[in-house]
Amino acid sequence: MALLATKTGSPNVTRRSIAARPCSAAPVRLARPGRKHVGIHAMAAATAEEAELRKQLTNLDRVTILSEALPYLQRFRGKTVVVKYGGAAMKDPTLKAGVITDLVLLSCVGIRCVLVHGGGPEINSWLAKVGIQAVFKNGLRVTDAATMEIVEMVLGGRVNKSLVSLIQQAGGKAVGLTGKDGQLLRARQMVELDIGYVGEVTKVDPTILNVLGNDSYIPVVATIATDTAGQALNINADTAAGEIAAALKAEKLVLMTDVPGVLRDKNDLSTKIQSLDIRQCRELIADGIIAGGMIPKIECCIRCLSQGVKASHIIDGRAKHSILMELLTDEGVGTMITG
Amino acid sequence: QAIFRPWRLPFVIDTLSKYGIRGLTNTTVKGVGVQGGSRERYAGTEFGPSNLVEKEKLDIIVSRSQVDAVVRLVAASAFTGEIGDGKIFVHPVAEVVRIRTAETGLDAEKMEGGMEDMMRRKR
Repeated sequence: MALLATKTGSPNVTRRSIAARPCSAAPVRLARPGRKHVGIHAMAAATAEEAELRKQLTNLDRVTILSEALPYLQRFRGKTVVVKYGGAAMKDPTLKAGVITDLVLLSCVGIRCVLVHGGGPEINSWLAKVGIQAVFKNGLRVTDAATMEIVEMVLGGRVNKSLVSLIQQAGGKAVGLTGKDGQLLRARQMVELDIGYVGEVTKVDPTILNVLGNDSYIPVVATIATDTAGQALNINADTAAGEIAAALKAEKLVLMTDVPGVLRDKNDLSTKIQSLDIRQCRELIADGIIAGGMIPKIECCIRCLSQGVKASHIIDGRAKHSILMELLTDEGVGTMITG
Repeated sequence: QAIFRPWRLPFVIDTLSKYGIRGLTNTTVKGVGVQGGSRERYAGTEFGPSNLVEKEKLDIIVSRSQVDAVVRLVAASAFTGEIGDGKIFVHPVAEVVRIRTAETGLDAEKMEGGMEDMMRRKR
């Protein structure tokens, strides 16, 4: 939780153990109301509420909450969590900052994080700047050679590095990679779909991710892969995140979306399903309860679960501290899917 | 004889022991089993018809009356629905001998506190 930063900042602990830590050495950070027994609150009321709660918290409260978080932290220490970052959370700077600090916190605690990102909106704006028309077929971007160049540059250069520098600013250590670096992602072109240079992952080589993770770096991966001839291919970020999680034998895959999870009734937030397993997912897809854009995400979850990832979570990127809430509380804020 | 995904092993063994199957043998194997050009995924990699994929094999010996139940248990606990879930082979066994006591046949196969005893207790 955010309180961990309080611990690292507090004078008693700092000098002894935190000296070499890459975490932010910021002085005592005030406790955020991201605690187990406080649910998600509306963004508008957040600041007023926060200020209220901060006044009411005593030091004992803070330390108690921190030690209550211990079992969760122990459960995941040393394990790998792959977070796929996308949607609204990527556009709004406040949300972005929140996600970044959450990741740095997890990394500080010893949980190995990998951040995988897509980047639709930026690509569109740059295509417009260069004067290329963005073509979509059945909702999927058609990537011809010229578009591929722009996609490579924007994803691997612009989006990737901005995330890396944000993580560095927040006090973490990050390295930006594309699937090309260290042969991380190998793919073959999906000719059957006829949308140009879009690929299906054929091989993931996680060596470079392990090398970085061993030294507490957070790898930030842009999902561009190469085929056997060296041709760059665009890979769907959700699928790539799932495959990377499977290759790393990750504990969790977290997909950040713009919906609060799998809803039984599309318009009713209270019908959010807390947890599912593979069988139930397939039944729900057959029943039509999971529909539209959720289907590819669920299928990507099923794919990576069937390869041994312990659990995958679909969370709402627009909620505050959604990653921490999902990982460090029993109820979580999204939908958890297990094998 | 059941061959299935490696990470399913603990779950399958737990389910079996919950239902009273106490004796089994496990081997780590590699194999191929792709149908019709489709590829199996393991650890993020696609496996075609000539690359060997890691699987776990379980050998379980049961009396004829228990075969169906055990097959269903294993299939249900190892299922994921994706290509590469595995297969179960049912072989006849000519003879079972317990080395310690030299019992043969059904006596040797029967395990104390196993499925038969659990069924009997329920009745």
